[in-house]
Amino acid sequence: MTQANLATADQLARTSGKTGKPSMTPEQNQTQGEHSDSQTDLQLVRKVRNGDRAAFDLLVVKYQTRVASIISRYVYDSQEVMDLTQETFVKAYRAIDRFRGDSAFYTWLYRIAVNTAKNFLESRGRRPQASADVSDAENFDDGIRLRDPASPERLLQREQLQEELSRAIAELPEELRSAFLLREYDGLSYEDIAKILECPIGTVRSRIFRARDAVDRHLGPLINHTETT
Amino acid sequence: MDDRLRETLSAMMDDEADELSVRRLLSHRDQARVRDQWQRWQQIRDLMHSGHTPAEGVDVSANVRAALDGRSEPPVRRSSLGNASAAARWRWPAVAMVAVALLVGFGAGAGWDSRDAAEAASAPVAAAQPLTDRSPTDAPVREVALQGLDEEQWQQMSQYLLEHAQHNSVGVGRGAVGYARVVSAGNGY
Repeated sequence: MTQANLATADQLARTSGKTGKPSMTPEQNQTQGEHSDSQTDLQLVRKVRNGDRAAFDLLVVKYQTRVASIISRYVYDSQEVMDLTQETFVKAYRAIDRFRGDSAFYTWLYRIAVNTAKNFLESRGRRPQASADVSDAENFDDGIRLRDPASPERLLQREQLQEELSRAIAELPEELRSAFLLREYDGLSYEDIAKILECPIGTVRSRIFRARDAVDRHLGPLINHTETT
Repeated sequence: MDDRLRETLSAMMDDEADELSVRRLLSHRDQARVRDQWQRWQQIRDLMHSGHTPAEGVDVSANVRAALDGRSEPPVRRSSLGNASAAARWRWPAVAMVAVALLVGFGAGAGWDSRDAAEAASAPVAAAQPLTDRSPTDAPVREVALQGLDEEQWQQMSQYLLEHAQHNSVGVGRGAVGYARVVSAGNGY
């Protein structure tokens, strides 16, 4: 590892150890939005077209929060947001043969979500207040848009989870932490991380998996707890 | 699910899994475990990037599965459908009432005498009765203000009210509703 590369990794590790989340530039933020040209999505879509429902399940789990966030720009009632999110995925599944792959799957899904929300408002005699362009799909920040109940209990849970996340990342061995953070916060490809860390791509892949697994085990009980509350 | 498959899943999270590995993962017999692991890692990613806890997130995956399996219908917003059917239920009675009111009002303005007006008004009202789900055997109920009068007083009062309303509708042009109301009261409705 070169001195410059070490500095980059160490800086990331130090920042994350302190706050759990280094500040990101818009460019960095966009690169971590892995949905722009997702090969995995296309693989899953091909599986769905062949009747693989499990593949569609993974797409739902991956995008449901973002889709709900888009819809919540138009519809304020949380139950309606859930219903429309569900409806969006059902429509997407039924129209999956019409997805030609000209755009990213997420962009296509985004259009369905927006149209579903607008149609819903029109059926209720309400004029859509928000407007969304397809170009928004790539830059859409669900962290800002998703409505936040912000009850004291919820805020406390969030704070605890954030602290535990920071602790879990700080406790990772340095080589796992560097690979994990370069991937999650810088959005670098395995190939680029391998160059920075001067190791084979397979090693990067393994390190990121082990880091993710360790964080998951660390946060597991807390995540299960918050899901049930 | 062994570590090799979980590593593939981790690579899928990062868009770095090859087609063969994805196929192997999706053919794993315990897809529920694959989905659970995928969901947990997605939740951690949400927490890292947007600060959402799982409790603040969204999980419609089970409902989507159920809808696609035909175990439940795709979401139907009952409230909006309910409003629509309620609106449809009231549409024709409302149209009938407005038509009667207009007919009576214009007819009165054209110089009907009170007896003809009463007959003309009663016919459309009777025609509209089935739309209001009224049973033909229902006994007519007199207007509350007219109850307790004997037959002669009731006739005089009805005649008076009818003429009064007729003058109103001719003079102002807005008395059709009042006129219709008196006519219906006079018919015991």
